[in-house]
Parts: sequence; structure tokens; C-alpha cells
Amino acid sequence: MKLHRINALLLKYYYITINRVDRLFDIIYWPILDLFIWGFTALFIQKLSDVNVLSMLLGAVILWVFVWRASKDIAVFVLEDFWSRNLYHLFSSPVKLSEHLVSIIIIGFLRALTTFALMWIVGIVFYSFNILTISPLLIAFSVFLLTLFGWAIGLFVAAFIFRFGQRIQVLAWSVTFLISPFACIFYPLSVLPGWAAKIAIVIPPTHVFESFRAMISGTPVNQAGLIYSLISSILLFIVMAFFLEQSFRKSKKTGLLAKGD
Amino acid sequence: MNYIEVQNLVKSFKEKGRAITAVDNISFSVKKGEIFGLLGPNGAGKSTTINILTGLLEKDSGTIKVLGFEPEKNWEYVKNNSNVATAYSWLSDVLTIRQNLRVYAKLYGVKNCEHKINELLEMFELKNVADRKIIRLSSGENTRAVLCKGLINSPKVLFLDECTVGLDPDIADKTRGIIKDYQKKNDCTILFTSHYMYEVEELCDRIAFMSNGKIIRIDTSSNLKKLIKKHTVEIAVKKNIKLLREFLKTEGVDIVFEKDNSIVFEVTTEEDKMYKVISKIFHKGFMLSNLHVKGPTLDDIFIKIARQK
Repeated sequence: MKLHRINALLLKYYYITINRVDRLFDIIYWPILDLFIWGFTALFIQKLSDVNVLSMLLGAVILWVFVWRASKDIAVFVLEDFWSRNLYHLFSSPVKLSEHLVSIIIIGFLRALTTFALMWIVGIVFYSFNILTISPLLIAFSVFLLTLFGWAIGLFVAAFIFRFGQRIQVLAWSVTFLISPFACIFYPLSVLPGWAAKIAIVIPPTHVFESFRAMISGTPVNQAGLIYSLISSILLFIVMAFFLEQSFRKSKKTGLLAKGD
Repeated sequence: MNYIEVQNLVKSFKEKGRAITAVDNISFSVKKGEIFGLLGPNGAGKSTTINILTGLLEKDSGTIKVLGFEPEKNWEYVKNNSNVATAYSWLSDVLTIRQNLRVYAKLYGVKNCEHKINELLEMFELKNVADRKIIRLSSGENTRAVLCKGLINSPKVLFLDECTVGLDPDIADKTRGIIKDYQKKNDCTILFTSHYMYEVEELCDRIAFMSNGKIIRIDTSSNLKKLIKKHTVEIAVKKNIKLLREFLKTEGVDIVFEKDNSIVFEVTTEEDKMYKVISKIFHKGFMLSNLHVKGPTLDDIFIKIARQK
């Protein structure tokens, strides 16, 4: 891996971000909109309950951004090269797949941090909710776990794109939505019916959000759950990276990389 | 020294369960500083060959060497010292030309890249649109932007895959001039593919005719042209067209067609037959108003070879 090539790709993704209004827009618009919707909903529910609903819901919305951003950015930046038929030039240059991914991961993380910062400020200004007062260490660890899981999902989608081309691009937008009902973002695992709970318990983010809620309500954090989340996210990331590598090789065999469609 | 070597290269694709051989056991080599043309119709296997040589496509079998190395074993060196331009693939369309070139200059580790970028923009007459997004460019500007990228790292080996498609005749001519100039100054090895026979003839030292994944013949354009020993002659006379027709029949030439006061015929160049026929026409006192002699083109050669095979 060469740093100058990663820098070059970071420059490219920076240019894409500043040149395309929609790419700039999705750092700000949707997350802030989400925060307002959930914020007002939480304010309403707060009046009916003693539980700190506002912190739970707003904190969950802010943390989920990392899964959503991490996965979507990998997939969309890969798709971006398909859309502009630019893969041909990119991969006939000395760029390696690993350098391509590292650059996407870095730019994705920077974009996620920007969104996080904006949501953090909006949370403080409009709802007097400062997520960092909960437990900076737990929040940082949660961000790491959720981002890692998001990257794994992003790699999975990118692998499918390299294998089947743009026709499965809908996955880029839908996979995180598909997972979200089982990730227990806004509600505890205990409310899910048996069959759904069986799925939810194996999904790494479930344990992150369970711990987050425990921290807010002052109950003990399930450390085993967090360790499971860490190990499973790392394993998932490795497996998906391997899957992507295989798909990339396959695209060289089938000619999809050269045709770029 | 050979800068490109291809030995028994085979590549097939699966389409609806059927294997289609795109490149069928081809071999050729290109010397350092040579411009080598791959010529053939759509689906002949030209682009597939280039895609394999640039690492975008995996071969089924055979060996390839670029700059003396098997690319699979030394991609880094090979890719840093080669480049590719094609009319069928764009640069990143949401970036401007200058932004794209900056990215590629950094990818190839080009030093003093701003100077190099300005030099290329000037060369390809793109300075006034340098800060325009690729998506807003005409196809000719797009093609030239891709060519700029192709030269950004001053490559020792350059793959040009139908890189002049979409250019108007003036720009296409200038582009061929730039390519020739670059090749001479840098002793660059170029593998060039095109549909346009005249372009290949103008640029290439040697030509490989490809058809259905196979190389039919490799030679220089002048040698290839010798394969057809017939020239086409068009003669227009002020009067006595019937007499001229009768005369040509006695000389045993093939009359292609006759219109108004002119006759188009084919005559062999063997044993100076063509010159003899034309000088006899003069000696017989025919009053010519037009005389046009056309030798075989690469198109004629290609059709002849392809049909023979």
C-alpha cells in the first residue's frame, strides 16, 4: 500500500464531495432531519414517561449515523466509479483494491464525524442533549463498533457490485434499512417477538444500543455483549473483505471491471 | 528489446452458458519505440487484448510481458511506466479535467504535476475548459481529456484503444500529430487499436489484422498493400467513350462501371501492365478530361484477408 496513492484517492473523493451538492447534502440534510423528527417525538413521549426517552432516542439516532454512513459511503463511492465509467482508468493505474478501500473508509469516516459533530451541536442547541456527557469512553467505543459493522456491510455491498454490476445498486441504500429493525436502535431487545429476537441477538449493533440504554438508565452495562459485538464485527469485517477481494477477482475474469457496467 | 510480448494468449467469456472465445491463441511482440496497430472490426478481440495487458482482465492462458516483466509479478513497475487511453471510458464525470488530472498525477507519483498538467492541457487545446466538469464536455473534449490522462506519467508503453473516436477531423489530425511527436521524443512503445485504416496506416510501423479473436496477418502497411496487385483507374474522355471501352476490352482489363464520359476499371500492376495500358491510351490520342489512379487501401486488404481466411 502506498500513501501517495491513498492521498490521491482521498483528493478525488474530496472533490466529489465538494462538487456534488447531493453528496454534500447527505452529510447534513437527512441526519439533521432525522434528529428533528426523533427529537420532537421524544419530547412528546417524554411527557408520558419517567424514562429518559429523549436521551435514548436522540443518542440512538446520532450513533446509528455511523453504521449508515460507513456502509453507504463505501457502496456509493464504489458505485460512483461505475456510474462515470471510471473504473477502467482507476484500475489500469497502479491503484490496488486495498488502497481504494482504505481511502473510501477514511473519507467515509471523516464524513461521519462531520455529521456526528453537526448532530451533536443540534442536540445541544435544540434539545439540551449532549451525547458526550453520557460516557465519552462508551460513546467512543460504540462509535468504533458501529463504524466497524458499517464498514463490513459496505464491503458486502461493494462485493456484490463488483460481482453483479450496477444492477444491484439498490442494495447500497437498502441493506442498512433491512438490518435496522433487528438492531434494536430505538427499543430494547426484550420487546421483540421470539423469532425477531433470535435474529437481533446475533447482530453486533444490538449489543451496542442495549449498552447505551443501560448507561442512560443507570443499569449495569452488559460487557459480554460489547465483547461479542467487537469480536463479531471484526470477524464480519475480515470475511467481507475476503468476499470483496474474491468478487473483485471475479470481475477481472468476467470483464465487468473493464466494461464498468 | 521487446516492450510488449504476447504468446499464445487466450481469453474466453461465458455468455448464457456458452463459452465465447474473444482472444484465440494470439502471439505478437512490439519492439521498444515501435507503434504497433491492432486492426479489426468490432468484436475482433482488440480491446480484450489491451484490457489483459493493462491488468483489467484476467487471461485464461498464455503469457504476456510488458517492459520485459510478466505484469502479474510486477504490476507496480509495469503500471507506473505505462498508461492507457480509450474513448469508451471516461474520467470521473463529477470532477473537472484539471481535478481528474491532479488525481491521476498523484496516483502515478508524478513530480511537479501542475506544470505537467498545464503542458498537457495546452498540447490538447483544453486550457479553456480545464475547470469544467467532465459531464459538461463534448465527446471530443472528453476524448482529449482521457488522452491527457494517458500521457500524465510520461509512459514508456502506451495503450491507445480507439482513442480518436468522436474527434472532428481537424482535432483527430492534431491528436495523431501529438501522438507521433510524443512517441518520437520519448521513444515510447505504443499499442494502437482503431477501426480507421487510414489512421493506423499513418501512425503504425506494423499492423496486426485481427478477426474473430485471431491475428490473421502481421506486417507493415506497405507490405500488406502489396498483397493486392490491382489498382483502380478512372478515366474521363471528352469524346469517343465507345472507342475507349472497346480498347480497354482488347487490353483485358476489368471494367467496373461506366458513367457519362468516364470509365472506371481495375488493372493489375504486375509486369507494368497498368502503366502500359495508360500510356497506350495516350498514344492512341484519346482526349482525357480526367485521370485518377487509386491503389489498394488497407480496407481492401483487410476484406481480402478476412474473406480468404
